[in-house]
Order: sequence, then C-alpha cells, then structure tokens
Amino acid sequence: MNPLDKPPVQLGLALLTVLVLPLVLKSGILATEILIFAMVVAACNLLLGYTGLLSFGQGIFFGIGTYAAGICLTRWSIPVPVVLGGAALLGALTATLVGWLSIRRQGVYFVMLTLAFSQLFYFVAYTFSDLTGGDNGLLGVPRPSVGGAALNTPWAYYTFVAVCFVAVFALLVMVTQSTFGRTLIAIRENEGRAAAIGFPTRLFKIEAFAISGAVTAFSGALHAMLIGVAPLSNIEYHTSELILIMTIIGGSSSLFGSVLGAGFYLLLADALSTVWPRWLLLLGLVLVTVALFLQRGLWGLVERGYDLIFRRGRSIDSETPAKEH
Amino acid sequence: MTDIALQTHGLGVKYGTFHALADVDLRIRRNSVHSIIGPNGAGKTTLFHALTGRVRASSGRIELDGRDITNTSDDDRVRLGIARSFQVTSLFPNLSLRENLRLAAQGRTPWQALAPWRRAESNREALATADEVIGRLALGAVANRLAGELSHGQQRRLEVGMAMASRPRVILLDEPTSGMGIDDIEAMKQLIRDLGRDHTVLFIEHNMGIVMNISDMVTVMRLGRKLVEGTPAEVREDPEVQRAYLGNMITGDIA
Repeated sequence: MNPLDKPPVQLGLALLTVLVLPLVLKSGILATEILIFAMVVAACNLLLGYTGLLSFGQGIFFGIGTYAAGICLTRWSIPVPVVLGGAALLGALTATLVGWLSIRRQGVYFVMLTLAFSQLFYFVAYTFSDLTGGDNGLLGVPRPSVGGAALNTPWAYYTFVAVCFVAVFALLVMVTQSTFGRTLIAIRENEGRAAAIGFPTRLFKIEAFAISGAVTAFSGALHAMLIGVAPLSNIEYHTSELILIMTIIGGSSSLFGSVLGAGFYLLLADALSTVWPRWLLLLGLVLVTVALFLQRGLWGLVERGYDLIFRRGRSIDSETPAKEH
Repeated sequence: MTDIALQTHGLGVKYGTFHALADVDLRIRRNSVHSIIGPNGAGKTTLFHALTGRVRASSGRIELDGRDITNTSDDDRVRLGIARSFQVTSLFPNLSLRENLRLAAQGRTPWQALAPWRRAESNREALATADEVIGRLALGAVANRLAGELSHGQQRRLEVGMAMASRPRVILLDEPTSGMGIDDIEAMKQLIRDLGRDHTVLFIEHNMGIVMNISDMVTVMRLGRKLVEGTPAEVREDPEVQRAYLGNMITGDIA
C-alpha cells in the first residue's frame, strides 16, 4: 500500500484542504462549492473506483437532495440538521431503488439503465412543477442559522460546510477501510470469485449505492442552501456527467483524488470562463489528455511525484510487502 | 454421523435434451481422497457444478452428511461446508495473497461484512484462518505479494487455498495441476495428500501419476456415466477400463 493511501494521511490531506482554501481563494462561495462537489465526487468514487460501477445516475441523487432542501426550507421552518439528514435518507432510498434495478444488468447495459433513470427523474422533476418549480426551480431558498450560529456570510457558511465535509470524508474513509469496503474491491476485481466464496454480491452493490446516494443528496441539500436556489439543472443528466468527469480527472484509486478532481475542475472552470466564453472546449481537451496520458488521474500524478521524491532508488517490489496492515 | 461425507443417488443433469450427466451414484468416504477421471466430455466438470450448486440437478439427489442439499443454493452450500477450486485460475489479482485468503475466510460470514463500520482486521478468526492456510500452502514468503504477480504454480496453490479458507469439510478440486511444471506438481501432490487427512477431497485430474499415487478411490467416468469405481489398483487392473480407452495411459507412468 502506498503510504499516501493510509487513512490518517488521507484525512490529513482533507483537513489541509479545508484550511488552505480560505487562504488562496477570495470567493467563499467558490471555496464552499469545491467542498460540496468534493463530497459528491468522493461518493461517485465509491461506486466507480471501489465497486467498479460507472453510474450515470449521480445527478438524480444530487437533484433529490437539492429539492428536499428547497421544498423544506421554502415552505416550513425545519431545523437545518433535520433537513440535511432527511435529504441523506431520501437519497439513500432513491439510490437503493435505482441501484437495485440497475445492477440486474452488467457492463454497458448497467450504464444505459443508470442513464435512463437519470432522464426519467429529470422529466419527473420537470413535470411536477407545483413541487419543484419546473423550469424555474425553487427560488429564495433561505439559509437559516444552525445552533445559534448565523450562516448568512459566505465564509460563515464555508465553515459550516467544512465541518460537514471533514465528517463525511472521514465517514467515507472508514467505509472504504472496513471489511465492507474491502469486499467491494474484491467484487470489482472478480465478481464471480467473490460470489463463489460466499458473498451475496448484489447486496453489497446496493449498499454501496445507498451510501453513495446518501452522501450525494446530503451535498445537494448543502448546494441549494449555498446558491439560494434549487435549480432544475441539478437533477439534469449533465450534472451526472459533470460528476463523473471530476471523478475521472481526480483519479479513482483514492478518495482524496476526488477532492483534487472537484477542486481542479471548478477552479479551472472559474478561471477559464472569465477568459473565454467557449471554455468548455478547453475542458474537453483536459479530459482527453487525462484519458490518454493520465489514466490514474491527478492522484496518479501525486503518487508518481511522491515516489520520485521520497522513494527514489528503492525498488517498489521490496516496498510493498510488510506494509499491508 | 455416517462414514459417508458426500453421496449422490441417480444424479443427472440435462442441458436441453443432452444428458451431460446420468444416473451417477457416488459415495465419498469422509477424510478420503477420491479422484474422478475420464476423457474430455465425460461430465466431470458438470458433476462438480451439480455438487456445488452452480448447476441444478435435473434428476436424482445429493446428500451432504446425510442431509439432502439437492435444492440448496450455491452460496448456502459454501456455509454448509462444500468449497471448490476452479480449473481456470480465478483470484483477486490486484490484492495481496493474504487478502485473497482473508476474503475467502470472511465469505463464511458474509452478512458481517455488510457493516461499513466494522474493520476488516476485527475478524481475527478470518485473519488466523488466512495465516493458517498460508502455512499449509507453504507460501509464507510471498504472502504480501499481489496475487497477480505470483508464479503460475503459486497461483494454482492459492486457488486451492481459496477453497480451504472457507473451512470446508468437503473440498472439490477441478484439475489442480493444470498447466503446472514438474516441481509444482510435486508440491501440489503433497498438498492434496495433506488435505485428505482432515478434509474429504474430491478431485478431477488428468495426471495419472498423481491419481494412482494419492487416491484412496478412483471413479472413472465416460459419456456422463460412471464406468468403474475402485481403488487405484482395481481400476488399473480392470479389463473394461483398459479396453475402453485408458489402457497404457494408466499402466504406464506411476510416479
């Protein structure tokens, strides 16, 4: 195991991110957005990197969380923690349903099913405009204070999201380190063998979906509170695509890679969009570059840099044993 | 408890109208090494599929320790004590050898592994089983290597180890020596003989040297049916077996 993949190191890097972002960024909104998407991308990574499931349905769960917060906060005065918890629960339930139906097929057909669900949920949100606001989305989503702390300034809200981010990230690290997470990796590696040694593999995949959906919807709710709107675009197919692109750019072999992926994408988009209105074209080029030359993503680059600096001269072979636990 | 670990009565498997297996009666004695031989297409692997539950029997009955398991699902049979290795190596190539075995040991209590807060290392029993199997496979020196990096012979031994790690009473090995070099074959022979001391071992093998050398009983199959059954000496002398097809293949090399 690469020392960078150890849980304390991963957690340390996440904490460092939370502390560094306010120092380098002027916009608290952008910094908050990065943390929110970092959670979403890490949740996607649990499916893509750890379980080997390429899900185009992540936007569904993000959108569900967004609407849950939008509806609850604009209509009633429910405490924020309850709203967030409810959003996570709703996300888990939706993901269980989508996962349960999609994993019946494998490979391309699995991907097509998640894509189909993504379209389905989009049109459901579009159609039931009484509830979702349809094309306009839900406007004026308030940001109530939590436990007496007002969150109405960008950096105050950043602090709140940062606490959530660290907690969620720690939770995901725990999940990937658990016997459950290690079984997911086994299923990704060789599903037939995993079944032959006695694991009910479908159940494991559904649980991975549920956890991923809960985190994604939780983040969607935080997003609605960030921008003050619950937009239709959050449940669009495009959001699912965006989440996958960030996951792949970051690299799917480590959870912190997802934080890098989200940060890289959003910072680059922010910088490029002020320079050139056709900036998406450049992002396309970035993705092509990653797919061709950086298949382990930005995290792979970090690992290579680390090996170059700290482990030069020592062969990898003599390094891997005895470091397993 | 009877002396018979695994027993079939008139076991048959049909693929469409094709009888891949018909009327097979087997009585496998506890803690013995029992081999199944026969030419390609004799139904040996189909028999294994039927015994492990991967394929449903279309007729007949299967009993494990006197208990009818004909309609028990394959993963339930693992928990009841049947495990198998595959003819084509099937491992987790990017995980270490020890992790491969730990997973196989955890497979006995799969529900426990659904808890995302439970640490993998908290299942000490699975860790201990993995280490014990590593010792029996004599693979301690490479326990932390990735399974995909092991030599073919080591991978074949790990393949058998994956079946051992679920602590089965009956262990089914499908051509454990396939593709092995001469030194590796010797190691595998020792391993199977050693397994036979505290497991019921049923194995398919083409290497007559091994079959005649370590089997307590041999079943010869042809065209989905049992042809002859007996001790290695009896099978070797059997005129029908000799005439039918094995002939010099059997009488020749006895290592």
